[in-house]
Amino acid sequence: MSHTPSAPSAGTEPTVVEKVFAFVDERVGLRLLAAKMLNESVPGGSRWAYIFGSILLFIFIMQAVTGVLLMFYYVPTADHAYASTQYILHDVDYGWFLLGYHFWGSSAMVVCVFAHMSQVFLWGAYKKPRELIWLVGLLLFAIVMGFGFTGYLLPWDQRAYWATTVGVEIMDKTPLIGDFLARLLKGGATPGQMTLSRFFVLHVMVLPAALIGLAGLHLFLFRCAGPAGPFRGTPVELKAKTDYFFPRQIWKDVVGMAVVFASISALAFWEPVVLLEEATPDPGEYHPEPEWYFLFLFQHLRLKMFSGEFGQFLGAIAFPSLLGALLVALPFIDRDPERNIFKRPIALTLWVMLIVSILIFTVSAIINREFLD
Amino acid sequence: MQPQLKSKVRCTDREVGEVTKVIMDPLSHEVSHLVVSMNGSGERQVSMGSVQTVTDDLVQLRSSSSEVMALPPFKRGDYVTLHEVEIPGLERNIHVTPGEVLVPFPELERNVKRRKFFSNLTYVIGLFIGLPLVYPTLKYLMKPMYAPFDNRWQKIGNVGKVKAEDTGTQFEFKHKVKEAYLPEAEIEKNVWLVKATPAVLEKVYQGKDMEFRDATGKTLWTNKKDMPYIVFSGKCPHLGCGYKWRKHKVLGPVFLCPCHVSIYDASGKVLAGPAPRPLDLLPIQVSESGEVQIIDMEFKAGTKVQSRMV
Repeated sequence: MSHTPSAPSAGTEPTVVEKVFAFVDERVGLRLLAAKMLNESVPGGSRWAYIFGSILLFIFIMQAVTGVLLMFYYVPTADHAYASTQYILHDVDYGWFLLGYHFWGSSAMVVCVFAHMSQVFLWGAYKKPRELIWLVGLLLFAIVMGFGFTGYLLPWDQRAYWATTVGVEIMDKTPLIGDFLARLLKGGATPGQMTLSRFFVLHVMVLPAALIGLAGLHLFLFRCAGPAGPFRGTPVELKAKTDYFFPRQIWKDVVGMAVVFASISALAFWEPVVLLEEATPDPGEYHPEPEWYFLFLFQHLRLKMFSGEFGQFLGAIAFPSLLGALLVALPFIDRDPERNIFKRPIALTLWVMLIVSILIFTVSAIINREFLD
Repeated sequence: MQPQLKSKVRCTDREVGEVTKVIMDPLSHEVSHLVVSMNGSGERQVSMGSVQTVTDDLVQLRSSSSEVMALPPFKRGDYVTLHEVEIPGLERNIHVTPGEVLVPFPELERNVKRRKFFSNLTYVIGLFIGLPLVYPTLKYLMKPMYAPFDNRWQKIGNVGKVKAEDTGTQFEFKHKVKEAYLPEAEIEKNVWLVKATPAVLEKVYQGKDMEFRDATGKTLWTNKKDMPYIVFSGKCPHLGCGYKWRKHKVLGPVFLCPCHVSIYDASGKVLAGPAPRPLDLLPIQVSESGEVQIIDMEFKAGTKVQSRMV
């Protein structure tokens, strides 16, 4: 049968590979497991829009591989972090590439998380019965941001130091527990060795473990509910176009992965990572700025309405928390089963507004740079 | 009710065979077809549309036996079994088993009472293991969080460096820090010094000397209101970035923080931007020869009221 992989061909002596496969199959039911994995019905058929989940998994695996390789030389101490990163960049063969790949990979991760969430939002795929997938997805989103934030400090250059200083100060503005949280994260009052140790442990142990666990849960929940499929089409049309995850969707996913791999590699090649001066509490001529995907948050804190202690609480804590709370509440507020985005004017408007404001704030942050010199 | 496997299938004229398989619709999760073995003459696939009634052991069709015989033979190759495919929720909708499939309930399990007690006991034991670990873990992580303040005087340079009055001059210096078990290390820091005119001094001190106290409330130092040199912590009170002395198009020479564009005048007062309080003054003493010493303090950023961190 065409849908059972590598069934030993009848009449001929089985090859070694077939024998090994049969050995494992007999013990763990590999054939059935593979079939179950690959024969996942995709209602309405495979689509390019569905590739982002697989791509995120691919990017994560590559981040793990490059990250482990970087740890062969990287030393997470205040007096060696910078030198060991420079050593990776300038002395170790292909160190520049692995570090560049890891660096640009993190940006790719954020871009694809955003694409993935947008796809789910626009397709109305967070609605019943997929609320739990959405919630776990939001946790994964937070973890990805946590990866970006903690990883940024590790090279221990000025950029790293100041992004962390400002980032932790923002956390400090949380009512009641802010001071405790900020100190817990920094391991003291100001960023130093304790901060580097803590960020390192979070980045290479805690967050990966959390991500692996939650990504597993995300997939499990996804398999329980099944793919949502397109938001248009009658059951008959959907059934006519339905295919399995393998091969058409996997083919699209793999092409997507190849494109992402090529893009990250190209960026690592043509836009290599350049460290600034070693971290110190004296910024010198450096204008502190976070990584590009945090720029819009950074820029909106410059607004007049977010000035003063209360304004700052609004801008740094209340406003982002409200946005987060809205995302969490989304599948419970929006109970209308209608999934067609063109029949959900409020959802579409909100999404466009969010994109436009992120764009405006990011671009204005970039324009602002010129006025600061 | 769904047609049961092994049920007899009867057409309008006579019985033709029995149900051997059912085919589910992957979208509606309903039975869509029956496969009927035609008493030895092959299998036929019959749509549920032609089923009239279903009872425990009989499926009554609307068609005649010749009509059913005329259907094309059932093609097994067009289908996969439930075990080979993932269609969420489908299995919950199948009620077509020809009976129950059973395994024996173990002897020892039959007379166990207090199941609830045993399941609760596992939680209690879990808490018994987990709870005593909470406090030590927290204390373990908190060890470096609240280090005592360093109130030593730090030499930062000579006032000879100051070119003009009411102008910010950056003094960079090395501050010795000792973190945990690590050897003492020097970190580069900076403060901004202003040689203030009486007008600016008045704005800064408002006619009163400024006292600095340690954590216990004991006075460490008093900045005299008529001493012309004042020094600001290099940390912006907005979110802790490093600010600069810059020429602003409208406001003239000012302290400007590049992060979120807070702007302060030479007395540290906020002129524009999001900062919640003026720049932080530090204890300063200047010797006869112009050598400047400060106590290097840092204050929490983003609050209206100063609260010392370092």
